[in-house]
Amino acid sequence: MSHSPYMPQIATIIETIDETPDIKTFRVVLQDPAAMAAFRFLPGQVAQLSVFGTGESTFVINSPPTRMDFLQFTVMRVGELTHRLHTLREGDPVGLRGPLGNHFDVDAMKGRDIVFIGGGVGMAPLRTLLLYMLDNRADFGTITLIYGGRTPEHLCYKSELAEWAARGDMRVELTVDNPDKNWSHRVGVVPAVLTDLNVSPQNAVAVTCGPPIMIRFTIQALAKLGFTDEQIVTTLERRMKCGVGLCGRCNIGGKFVCVDGPVFTQAQLKGLPQEF
Amino acid sequence: MVARFIENDAVAALAAAWARDYRLLAPVREGQAVIYRPWAPDMHPFLGRPPTASAKQALLPQTENLLSYTYRKDHADLTKTEVFLADPLPPEPTVVLGCRPCDARGNKLLDRVFLERGVADPLYAARRAATLFVTVACEHMENTCFCHWTGGGPTSEEGSDVLLFAVTGGYAARAITPAGEKLLANLPDTSQQIADELAARLANPVEPGPAPDLRAAPERFLALFDNMDFWMDQSARCLSCGVCTYLCPTCSCFNITDENQGLKGKRLRTWDTCMSALYTLEGSGYNPRVSRAHRLRNRVGHKFCYHPQEFPAASNERNAQPEVSCTGCGRCIKSCPVSVDIRRIVLDLLEKGEKK
Repeated sequence: MSHSPYMPQIATIIETIDETPDIKTFRVVLQDPAAMAAFRFLPGQVAQLSVFGTGESTFVINSPPTRMDFLQFTVMRVGELTHRLHTLREGDPVGLRGPLGNHFDVDAMKGRDIVFIGGGVGMAPLRTLLLYMLDNRADFGTITLIYGGRTPEHLCYKSELAEWAARGDMRVELTVDNPDKNWSHRVGVVPAVLTDLNVSPQNAVAVTCGPPIMIRFTIQALAKLGFTDEQIVTTLERRMKCGVGLCGRCNIGGKFVCVDGPVFTQAQLKGLPQEF
Repeated sequence: MVARFIENDAVAALAAAWARDYRLLAPVREGQAVIYRPWAPDMHPFLGRPPTASAKQALLPQTENLLSYTYRKDHADLTKTEVFLADPLPPEPTVVLGCRPCDARGNKLLDRVFLERGVADPLYAARRAATLFVTVACEHMENTCFCHWTGGGPTSEEGSDVLLFAVTGGYAARAITPAGEKLLANLPDTSQQIADELAARLANPVEPGPAPDLRAAPERFLALFDNMDFWMDQSARCLSCGVCTYLCPTCSCFNITDENQGLKGKRLRTWDTCMSALYTLEGSGYNPRVSRAHRLRNRVGHKFCYHPQEFPAASNERNAQPEVSCTGCGRCIKSCPVSVDIRRIVLDLLEKGEKK
């Protein structure tokens, strides 16, 4: 087979997990064991998943590189390809191209306090970094996760959220817009929780991903708390096709989100034409 | 340099000879348009006017196969499916007859994207290596032509393998590359009279008129980036039809889609257009370029700001003008149904983006 950047490898779905009414998680392994053993990536990198006959879309690899039994993707059902993906079952083949894009600067985060701020399916890119840090726990300072969703059932990774809260070496703050009668955590939007917690910017890095509106207000809240632009890290969503900087559509000014991103600091984003 | 002579009546025979060894694309008249077609024995190549579409289709076909796939059911266990992938066929050696210097220069700009930016595209690279360009030098500039703004000119050799000059009774052909030399191997040298005619013509080139200094274009584009009144004004007439991008020799954005037939199919690359709202529409419904103003801004920005910023070294090679992702062929102006003129937009941004 060629070294064409458009040629996927074939992977098999080994497990699917229903996260929310419209979000599923897929665990896949490459069919070629040597390719699976050689697969290397860093937290934040993405891959293209294909269903041949329907198309291809970009998703973050949300399992960490420290756990290579499978590669995990979390997919919200929104368009043609994601509808098709949601019909697939254990044992079905998918195409996989990756890893693609840049990654979180984990070395620069060593020794610092980490604040994760996630919303909805935006928890996926945070999950890979969080698990990477938990697997290298001594390298990092305190870890705080603020995670929100529309309702309790719209939160992803529910069993892991409980595990993380029980660990004792990280803080987990959950919030929803609309609680049900069993909800025992916070109520309200994510940026409000962030302000409420009065998180200290001292030696800290904030990593945020979620709907564009949440990211915007989170960045404002972080700035008010004293976080500098260099201390705020986010990942951008953009329509992508090729994933290798050629097809054109994911540009922000002269940068391509598929190769220069998806991870950007707020300082980097401020240096770009404001078109996102 | 010695030139070879092609009689007007011998053009079709020469094309037929090339078509024995190459896939030949030649322009023919179809109604008002001049269209590249694959060689056919009854074809009459028409070299009298720039083809309606650019020659980029030779290197970046409007539709091409990226891969083929086949699903196979396991007959012992019908819940199991396997999928097999195959590469596309390699490209055929190709000669493009009748493009213009602006088209051939466009190849260099396509190379920037597909060979020099980061990941080299092997499909493009194979086509590029297998394709020769026989270019017709321009005798005059049409009123939509502005190649001289972009470092080109009516007799520019850049990107061509052979350059043809219209002379009395036919064409004087000059080989620019060794591969071009081979294409001309069986042709006679020009007569002394034709050689003198060619020399006289080259000594008195077409005077293209003044060109604006584009070195300030990137900075002035960025100064106007957030001025939506400017972009609304420039794009007010735009219909988002995308003809400017499809005919452009340097527009190279593409889409990838699957075409399925039963248990097999192809993954295709097709031309796409940044003038379409669908181009950037995300699954969530969010669109970072929600209006025509945003989209036209991106097209102008890509050509006159982002490209020169990405390839500044190339810009310095020519001290007069930066390398912009435009060859001044004027097709986007000529074929725009509502007369959007990219020259006007560039002149306006040079003027209005100036720091006062």
